[in-house]
Amino acid sequence: MKRLKPWLLPTGLYLLCLFLSGATSPPVSPKVHTVEISRMQFNPQVLVVSMGDTIEFVNKDMVTHDVTESSGKSWKSPALASGAKWRLVARKTADYYCSYHPVMKGKIEVK
Amino acid sequence: MKIRKSISASAIGLLFGSFMLLSPAVAQDNPTLSDAEVAHTAVTANQIDIDYAKIAQERSKDAEVLKFAETMASDHKAVIDQAVALVTKLGVTPEVNAVSKQLLSDAEKTKEMLRTKTGAAFNKAYIDNEVAYHKAVIAAVEGLLIPESENAELKSLLESIVPALQAHLEHAQMVQKDLNGK
Ligand SMILES: [Cu+2]
Repeated sequence: MKRLKPWLLPTGLYLLCLFLSGATSPPVSPKVHTVEISRMQFNPQVLVVSMGDTIEFVNKDMVTHDVTESSGKSWKSPALASGAKWRLVARKTADYYCSYHPVMKGKIEVK
Repeated sequence: MKIRKSISASAIGLLFGSFMLLSPAVAQDNPTLSDAEVAHTAVTANQIDIDYAKIAQERSKDAEVLKFAETMASDHKAVIDQAVALVTKLGVTPEVNAVSKQLLSDAEKTKEMLRTKTGAAFNKAYIDNEVAYHKAVIAAVEGLLIPESENAELKSLLESIVPALQAHLEHAQMVQKDLNGK
């Protein structure tokens, strides 16, 4: 059996440290963004986020709205009465609209 | 009674889309509607659209028309609830007046007309009326009710409903376009 070459040890330790530091350093924490629904508009209308960020929709109007992904196949909020909030974790870029007022449109862009 | 008469003429004028041309009395800055009358007119205008929505829910089978009617019923009720909460807080009792009376009598004729129609003809008549009615109400809120409001909270409530009326108008025009393609 071959003996370990002495120069391999520091390299191995170095790689081990690199691995551990990568694993234990704090990950970039997901942000929480707010989309305000007011005066029949989503503000901001286009929101750029990172994968895994949270988006909180807040209805500041007196009428009920919702947030519906445009293809109709991905996600949809429940009815959001005046003052209600709803959170979504951004996984991919999506266009959305309000199913009560289909002229209200917005977009989430995942970088 | 001269003032009353001119308000009534304005109400008719605005419903035919020539509000600004036919209403020199309203363009003047002396108020012709009290806040109690503004409140009554606003509640009446919203209630009328709820009534139209109920007729649509009884007579239409078109999913898009029904969804639109549901939004009208729900949104205009939310506006009425806010208006009632405000006048209650202000201690104002909404007062019937020439403009709200005119709105009601015009609405009676429209409801009668809608009840004679079925199927595609009903859908078209309902949506065409929604387009015209929202245009007239936007003109009345911006050109009459907001300038006539003295109380700041009443004025601000009326200002806050304009974007919803505008969205309803665009939504009605969208449904109108879809119906024309069917
Ligand atoms: Cu909406």
